[in-house]
Amino acid sequence: MYCIETKNLSHRFSEKEVVLNNIELQVPEGSIYGFLGPNGAGKTTTLKLILGLLKKQEGSISIFGKPFDKHRIEILKQVGSLIESPSLYTHLTAKENLKIWQKVYQCPMSRIDEVLAIVGLSETGKKKAGKFSLGMKQRLSIAIALLHSPTLLILDEPTNGLDPSGILEIRELLTKINKENGITIIISSHLLAEIEKMVTHIGIINKGEILFQGTLTELHEQQTKTSSIVFETNDNAQTNQILQAKGLQSSIKNEQVIVPFTDRKVIAESVAALVHANIEVYQVSTMKNDLESIFIDLTKN
Amino acid sequence: MNFIYSVQSEWIKTKRSSASWLCIIGGFFIPLIYLLKFFYDGNSINSYKVDIWKILFNQMWQNMATFLLPMGVILASSLIAQLEFKNNTWKQVHASPQSFTRIFFAKFTVIALMTLKFFLFFNIGILVVGVLPSLVFDHKLPIQGIPITYFLRANFNYFVTCLPILAIQYLISLKFNNFLVAVGIGLLGLIGSLIAMPWKYVYLIPYSYSPMTVFPGKKDFPIYMYAFVYFGIIMIISYIIYVSKKEKG
Repeated sequence: MYCIETKNLSHRFSEKEVVLNNIELQVPEGSIYGFLGPNGAGKTTTLKLILGLLKKQEGSISIFGKPFDKHRIEILKQVGSLIESPSLYTHLTAKENLKIWQKVYQCPMSRIDEVLAIVGLSETGKKKAGKFSLGMKQRLSIAIALLHSPTLLILDEPTNGLDPSGILEIRELLTKINKENGITIIISSHLLAEIEKMVTHIGIINKGEILFQGTLTELHEQQTKTSSIVFETNDNAQTNQILQAKGLQSSIKNEQVIVPFTDRKVIAESVAALVHANIEVYQVSTMKNDLESIFIDLTKN
Repeated sequence: MNFIYSVQSEWIKTKRSSASWLCIIGGFFIPLIYLLKFFYDGNSINSYKVDIWKILFNQMWQNMATFLLPMGVILASSLIAQLEFKNNTWKQVHASPQSFTRIFFAKFTVIALMTLKFFLFFNIGILVVGVLPSLVFDHKLPIQGIPITYFLRANFNYFVTCLPILAIQYLISLKFNNFLVAVGIGLLGLIGSLIAMPWKYVYLIPYSYSPMTVFPGKKDFPIYMYAFVYFGIIMIISYIIYVSKKEKG
């Protein structure tokens, strides 16, 4: 079952400005779903619609299998969120900030100390949230999101502005709570490298449209599909002919002959055929598209 | 019960906030001036002879109701509502399991409670002004008892005159994310109403009711009823605007 499912979700800020176009988001239960896209792609708008922070215009949103608009309060009781920058009362301490939400969610007071320990902010004492570093603010925001032991966490760019160690800390924390408590997490980012190490599923959005959605394994398969073998020889035209004669879809680009990667055997057989035809082979290499370049390719197109 | 929890949650937000400090400073400002004056003159309210508490109470309230009370209410209500904009927390509030109606009224309740806190401090200040100089100079308590019922009724009436201001400032603060807009409009409304006080239709300005209570010739006007009606109308408009807002964070 999907924890979050949207159908034909579209949104526009004005007649001409279409921000989302038929978004079909499917976030499986128990997954860490990376919601990727460049800045302005529509990630925050999608997440705001899911949380009811924006009035829905078209399409449907269901969370835990229930339509959001009809079960808003019931659903939000089980959802923790962090949208864009931290939402903290800067004149209050970490504990006081959590106390505000403890009153609303009516969870045990002991949870305040528990979540502060989880995010490593137990020792902040009387220090006001306004005096916290950005990393501490982000962690306190995550503590607020975790306070009522939600089953779904919606995090919009939670690592924004953090240094590498801060990013690592948040990543470890989220992986831990996902594994230990089975919390479904949807986390948005504009940097694939930042989240690819923790996510199980990925959705890529650009210009308000979903370009890819699936498991990380499926994205890796796409990565293999888009890898190529590159030949550098003394006669590219003849090399191209020989490889095409072998049934390969070769082409010449930048004074190199490029063949889509299918199997390692192809490399050995191709080199043997070229040597047999007296072609001097200077270099054979495989060009693997990393996930980042797939992401860039997808979003560029 | 849920509503009470929301009010408690909203009340925590006011802790150490500017609005909270304003309540203390605003509430004790006039009593402090009176206290200094009594100490300077070497007097106490015992020198009034007749209705000593009522004289003190009315004198102090006159000073308060003309400008400081409406101004304090403008500032405090705007500051509380603006807390969410300032801290970028509206989105967190609206993503919590509270109905929009509950959020709207819980927040307003806290603003009203904050105004009552302001009243409480002012009344404590009045009592201190009444008692402290008497103890210092005469070494005896004021010669007359405190007219509690009179105090409570008058406080209630002054509170009613604040309601239209509370409602309109709440509306403006929910609508605009700039604190200065709310305070600017409030200040213009208040100064405008003071200038227009001799005008027979001054009651059309929602900021006028508190100064009207002390303005000669306006006391016979049904101030409290008009204040209630104005308050009701503005609250309904505020609620509709708030609930139908397309973007909530």
